[in-house]
Amino acid sequence: MFEVPFMRLALGASAAASVALGVVGVYLIIRRVVFLGLVLANAATVGAAVGQIFGWPPEIVGIVTTVAAGLALGAIPAPRRISAESIMGWAYATAAATTVLILAGAARADADTLHFLYGNVLAVRPSHAAGLALLALAVLAVHGLFAQRFLLVTFDAEGAHVGGVNARGWSLLLNLWIGVTTAAAVHELGVLLTFSLLTLAPTTSLLVTRSLRSTFFVSAAIGVMAVFLGLVGSWYLDLPPGPSSVVPLSVAVVVAGVLGNRFSRRAKPASPK
Amino acid sequence: MSERIAASKYAFVLRAERLGLGYHHRALAEDLTFQVRRREILGIVGPNGCGKTTLLRTLLGILKPVRGTVERDPSLAASYVPQHENIDTILPITALEVVLLGHMARESAFRRLGAADRRVALEALRRVGADTLGPQLFRDLSGGQQRRVLLARALAAEPDLLVLDEPTAGMDVAGEAAIIDFLRDLNQAQGMTILIVTHLLSLVLNFATSILLMTASGTIVHGPIEDVLREDRLSELYGVPIRLGRVGGQRMLAVDRQGAGDV
Repeated sequence: MFEVPFMRLALGASAAASVALGVVGVYLIIRRVVFLGLVLANAATVGAAVGQIFGWPPEIVGIVTTVAAGLALGAIPAPRRISAESIMGWAYATAAATTVLILAGAARADADTLHFLYGNVLAVRPSHAAGLALLALAVLAVHGLFAQRFLLVTFDAEGAHVGGVNARGWSLLLNLWIGVTTAAAVHELGVLLTFSLLTLAPTTSLLVTRSLRSTFFVSAAIGVMAVFLGLVGSWYLDLPPGPSSVVPLSVAVVVAGVLGNRFSRRAKPASPK
Repeated sequence: MSERIAASKYAFVLRAERLGLGYHHRALAEDLTFQVRRREILGIVGPNGCGKTTLLRTLLGILKPVRGTVERDPSLAASYVPQHENIDTILPITALEVVLLGHMARESAFRRLGAADRRVALEALRRVGADTLGPQLFRDLSGGQQRRVLLARALAAEPDLLVLDEPTAGMDVAGEAAIIDFLRDLNQAQGMTILIVTHLLSLVLNFATSILLMTASGTIVHGPIEDVLREDRLSELYGVPIRLGRVGGQRMLAVDRQGAGDV
């Protein structure tokens, strides 16, 4: 199966994207903004659709719209009468509907455009696979450099602000980083798989790990294993690769939930008051 | 006293000038003018819902004032110990890592953690009597232990101004006394300025050097304890007859139940 060049490319591209999304996804989960991943993925498709219509490079426009969405959502002050997730829900519905409406009104929206917008990892080009590999390296480098700051503003943004850290700036940078990573991955993997790697792999990891370092590592590793299993299933069962990769991710969350609860009951030390 | 304080040209740590507090342009309190001097222990007290935490968050720059200004000596380092319930425990982070986050906040974002940083964090944990908690996950700790770790995190940043929001909420008498003694030592030995918000008048009676009493109508009374905490004022503010006295040299506060009648 993996002697076929396009399958090797698909595996390489999706594994690289899994590492990148698995790492930034942990931040998404611990900041409790899961829907932000979905919003950003759909913001990328809006940008790509606009790019297709006007003949602009869709990848670039997709990144611009995703970064703009990430920055805009990060800049909105915390609402008092509704949850932050409600705003994310609004942004997701708006972005998804806008993409469909733009494409419905566009004469140039054909099957290739839809593949481009929603991703098809089996059709990934070598240059794009290389781009995803670079993306994974860049994500790991940013994580290695700034994890302390990202964790600080995630753990206690107000305490960080009082301590002299530009908490708002670092939060926006974190959103921007997640946005660029999401936008770059969504064109090759599609919205469904991108969102699943952003959220299900870190969720699984948080359920079974008990240290920060292992959380990031396991999240990336689970993503890589899921896309490998998904591609194998896709090859032998003649199924689309995206949803095939989501199945092991989905099962992993359930298994981790059961095992994590048992493990946690055993490992948690008695806490004297 | 730290070198930063000695070198500072400011006579105050914080100064509020005609300050208006509130959310979304709706003022909870207006025209508040006061200042916090160096080495002061200021207790911010008042009945529930009068805006104590809002005042604290405005003084710290977390909230923008509705009106007026807050001036802070820019050369001084501040640390904030929030209520532990406000800390999200989804992160699988150990107590030692929590303290390191506070310590590293002072450093450049590009600086790597080293052995010296770990020593500072461990020393901060030791000072608050939490040295054995270092390897444990923060989320697995009890409320009192989490509060100690958050205090260690604040100390690891080596602040000149320490700000605490309800630091003893949920603690037993021994835990409360230990924290108060520790904070008093910090103030006396290191000259650290301390701001403490609490709804417990009894907590600051023998601890604070000055009091800022907030009322439900949005006004404040600020000054030395003897001037601010008077029986008539407190009784009117809380709506129950309050008596102040001394036992063994310590100030005591009690509700006069006979005066209040049967409830």
